Amino acid sequence: MSAVSELVAEKSIVTEPQAGAVKLTMILSGAVFALMMVFGLIMRAAQGQLIEVDPALFYQLLTAHGAGMVGTAALSGAAIMWYFCGRHIVLTAGIFWAFLALFLLGVVLILGSIFIGGYGGAWTFLFPLPAMSGGAWEAGAAAAFMLGYVSIGVGFLLYYLELGRQIHARYGSLVRALGWNLILGREDKNPPPPTIVAAAAVTIFNSIGIILGAAVLVASLVHLLVPGFEVNALLAKNLIYFFGHVFINASIYMAVTAVYEILPEYTGKPWKSNRLFAIAWNAVLIFVMAVYWHHLLQDVVMPPWMLVVGQLVSYFSGIPLIAVTAFSTFLYVRGSKMTWDLTSSLLVLSVAGWAVGSIPASIDGMISVNKVMHNTMWVPGHFHTYLLLGEVAMAFGFMAWLVRGKTIAQMSGLDRVAFVTYLAGAAGFVTVFLFSGAASIPRRWAVHYEEWLMHDRIGTLFSVLIVMTTLFFVLRFVLRLGRSNG
Amino acid sequence: MKLLGLAFLASAEAVALRYAVVESPIQHVLVQMPLLVLAGVLLAWNRQIRQEWAVPLLLVALTVFLFWMLPRNVDWALTPTGEIAKYLSLPLLLGVPLRLSWPWLGPVLRGFLKANALSMLGVLGFLYTHAPVRICNSYLVSAQKDLGMAFFYLAAGLGCLWAIPILFGNPSGQRSNATGCASCGV
Repeated sequence: MSAVSELVAEKSIVTEPQAGAVKLTMILSGAVFALMMVFGLIMRAAQGQLIEVDPALFYQLLTAHGAGMVGTAALSGAAIMWYFCGRHIVLTAGIFWAFLALFLLGVVLILGSIFIGGYGGAWTFLFPLPAMSGGAWEAGAAAAFMLGYVSIGVGFLLYYLELGRQIHARYGSLVRALGWNLILGREDKNPPPPTIVAAAAVTIFNSIGIILGAAVLVASLVHLLVPGFEVNALLAKNLIYFFGHVFINASIYMAVTAVYEILPEYTGKPWKSNRLFAIAWNAVLIFVMAVYWHHLLQDVVMPPWMLVVGQLVSYFSGIPLIAVTAFSTFLYVRGSKMTWDLTSSLLVLSVAGWAVGSIPASIDGMISVNKVMHNTMWVPGHFHTYLLLGEVAMAFGFMAWLVRGKTIAQMSGLDRVAFVTYLAGAAGFVTVFLFSGAASIPRRWAVHYEEWLMHDRIGTLFSVLIVMTTLFFVLRFVLRLGRSNG
Repeated sequence: MKLLGLAFLASAEAVALRYAVVESPIQHVLVQMPLLVLAGVLLAWNRQIRQEWAVPLLLVALTVFLFWMLPRNVDWALTPTGEIAKYLSLPLLLGVPLRLSWPWLGPVLRGFLKANALSMLGVLGFLYTHAPVRICNSYLVSAQKDLGMAFFYLAAGLGCLWAIPILFGNPSGQRSNATGCASCGV
């Protein structure tokens, strides 16, 4: 081991890398998660006609909820991965602060565009909707929304540049950090740990996604300001879904580093990279970029081979996740006599939820199913599964771990109630979505028919449970942070 | 001396394209203009400046770059006055300051500039292929579209060129500089 790696290894034991910045980010993430969940609750209650919400406001809430949840999932995932990468490489704190500042600037622009400018064109800003509001919002509001995305994108670009260069500095190349020496059977005295393998993969695919996303955002901005410049709608949709799919997937792939780094504390068995693990993450790197075509299965003008690839990769992309992370988690937990506190429960739940969420996703990724299911509640059902029971659970698990202290104790009664309530709320909430999808209830409709109201009302009840437990998790984190700092 | 000769060669090549650029925007924007910038870069290759000059010089370079990105200025560059401005400004106000400031720029800023260049080439590609009007009065619409496609190809080429060293830099060994490297090109 070189002097540098010894130094880094030593640091990883004794320091909490940039814990202050990460804790602040998690407070912000928790608060925004809670707020966005309240928006979701309002929308479900409005669909169930329990409250009255003007449809224009409904679409603004839908836009804020979508953009806010995707953004916050990415923000919390980024904070988690930064924290744990800091155990293996030395990261510049200033870059994280710049990332956070640009992110917050983006949030201000997005919220302003929605709640002041009235923008309600959904988080996907699909061409030509932002420019064709029918009088609901001005071009300036849509432009502010997109500038908010640009600001967030620049922040993430800085984040990945710093991460990429430090990984490169430590491991000599990104392919080594991706575990190619393990895959090729070459000798590597200091193989990359799982967190670094994950970070290298996410850095590559999300940087590509952000660069392409920036191009389509600026092209859409030009179209907003000079409507004569029309973007090719199909090209724009491809670019937007490449960027959007990669970005939201990256949030989970970043947050999963919490599982790799924290669970070994409970099982007593270190989580090490091996050949299969490296192959799985290299497969993820390819699949996450090749699978986005499953968002375009209803675009009949797409070349058929792309749609077929989209379907096939949808099947394959579940394999590295389920075969490696989920199966490994099961093996690590099995027979380890681990203590089940809030952290370990949420982290194990998150892996299970993520794996389960990929099943309805794969089903919707079939062309024949997608034809009838894509615009139904089935789709929010699948992504809420791997967000609520996956990424968000990982974030809450990480927050619980940050304030856990050095000793691991069994879950208190209150924590147990909160965990079970969250699990029941989230599982019930997504099941209602999936049932609604199977019953052909369309998604994104502000006003629902009488026959659909029962679904909406049951969904509302479950979402109340989620909001309550989320508030508990966030308040618990803030109070314990205050206590430990005080 | 060798670099001075190369700089002169690049300038001479750019001047030799004087008539060809009237016909082809690709030769104008993607061959002649980069050659002039290259001449400036080579001219300042072995020169060094103090660190405090790096940011002002970078701003000068970026401003000149932005100026020549505008289609109406590409048109203007074909007039006698514009031609002189182009021959002087691209090497002296873009190539030279960019080269002088580059060694002082942090790797994250360099990476940001490169990533931004890729995005902007994509945007330019979109603008030139989708414009409902002739953006440059001096060129045909078909030539304008060709230039747009060339921007896309250039973005793809540069993306590969910049990514390959980072991906495959040194798979077997590891670097000793844990705080980052100036030469890795990230």
